[in-house]
Amino acid sequence: MNLLAGAILLLSLVTLIGVYLILRLRKKTQTAVRPISAFQDLKVQASYAAESGGGIHVALGNGSLYGEDAITSIAALQVLEALSDEAVAYNAPPIITVGDPTLLPIAQDILRRAYERKGQLEFYNAGQVRFVAPSPVGYAAGAGDVASGETVTATMMIGAFAQEVSLIADSSVRYNTPALAAVTTPTAISALYPAIEKLAQGEELYAAGAQLTGEDRYMAGLITQDVLRFILVLTILALSIATYWGIW
Amino acid sequence: MMGRLIRHWIPFLFFILIPGLVVLFGYLMPGIAPLTELRDMMVEWAVIISAFAFLLGLLNVLQVHGRHIRRRRSGWFYSLILVLAMLLTWIPPAFQSLGLDFLGIPVSSEAQAMLATTSQWIFDYVITPLGASLAALLAFTLVLAALRIFRARLNAWAVIFLVTVVVVLLGSIPFTTGLEWLTGIRSWIIDVLSTAGIRGLLLGVALGVIVTALRVFIVSEQPYSES
Repeated sequence: MNLLAGAILLLSLVTLIGVYLILRLRKKTQTAVRPISAFQDLKVQASYAAESGGGIHVALGNGSLYGEDAITSIAALQVLEALSDEAVAYNAPPIITVGDPTLLPIAQDILRRAYERKGQLEFYNAGQVRFVAPSPVGYAAGAGDVASGETVTATMMIGAFAQEVSLIADSSVRYNTPALAAVTTPTAISALYPAIEKLAQGEELYAAGAQLTGEDRYMAGLITQDVLRFILVLTILALSIATYWGIW
Repeated sequence: MMGRLIRHWIPFLFFILIPGLVVLFGYLMPGIAPLTELRDMMVEWAVIISAFAFLLGLLNVLQVHGRHIRRRRSGWFYSLILVLAMLLTWIPPAFQSLGLDFLGIPVSSEAQAMLATTSQWIFDYVITPLGASLAALLAFTLVLAALRIFRARLNAWAVIFLVTVVVVLLGSIPFTTGLEWLTGIRSWIIDVLSTAGIRGLLLGVALGVIVTALRVFIVSEQPYSES
């Protein structure tokens, strides 16, 4: 029963902070967000792709919509949504690769809707979204091949990856195409850290929506994360001190 | 009004909120049998739906690589090999599961055994060794990435990263010639610095996951419909 009480308390806390912040942000004007270079550079790469007549390769990783990586995949889809709007506006559609077929129809729908919003549905090509392979290493090898394609001007690795992401990064480095990444697992971070300059690590992935769109709902989520982090840090410190002094 | 109800609220209610709450509380309250049964049933449905998604993935591979082959794009030959290999891997188990009565022609038990052996052979002697080769290649790409570190970033953190990698690698070697003290440093790096860093990272990720999941619950995040 303690587990239930804790979960309900946490969810209620997050909901209350989130709703309060959404209402507050609607009244206020601007909230500053720390710039994350991986996301800042994404829009630049989209415009560069348009100038050179190519497209950005977005690797969404091996996460699915039903496993433990589901939320990471949803966060990655936020980035895809923001990027698709930019890319369609510049007439430089991205090539999207997925390692789990449950992401395939969602990614196709996001790209289709971007075309629909611009009134260019006739140019939508479902083949821009590609299912590569279900195994992580096979996916990385296949996505690495896409990253080395002639028309690819940059590669964005975002979503659920492990150390095999190094194969995609290596392909980008060898073909001298800029690479950006946003990953959450320690194995993927340690594999990408030496290879890529523009790397969003851990929780920074969940800030993508706020970074790219600046919408209230994303900003509220981001500030909620910060508030919860402060509460968590203070709790850990208090418990450590209490344990040290023998109070707990 | 009606259109919005059908497109927006009905999917949210029946495909997001109710299943989400049932699965969440099914895990939080394992003592309530009907709830856990309902939870297990919904998880099974998710697995069945994901199996259909694999069919979509298969068709997508055929569509993308079929187009490469038809238009003779660069590397079309590899696409041809991929499609043939895919069909070769897919057909024997498909025949097996279809009851081996293709176009009304019954298939003998010897043929059944041969098809079962073929798919196992493909798995044992093609897919597994290829996967292992790629995994071995991964070790080289990781080393190359470490060597290229100063190309990606030229700062104090890169130096610290490289020194740590060298110390941990050397500390893993069973020295007997005066460098045994490296083992202690390696253990301290892994047990204290690395563990603390990973825990901090995972706590941040967990908070991000909670907030994003809650956005899906309160319809702020809709990857599945018109926004």
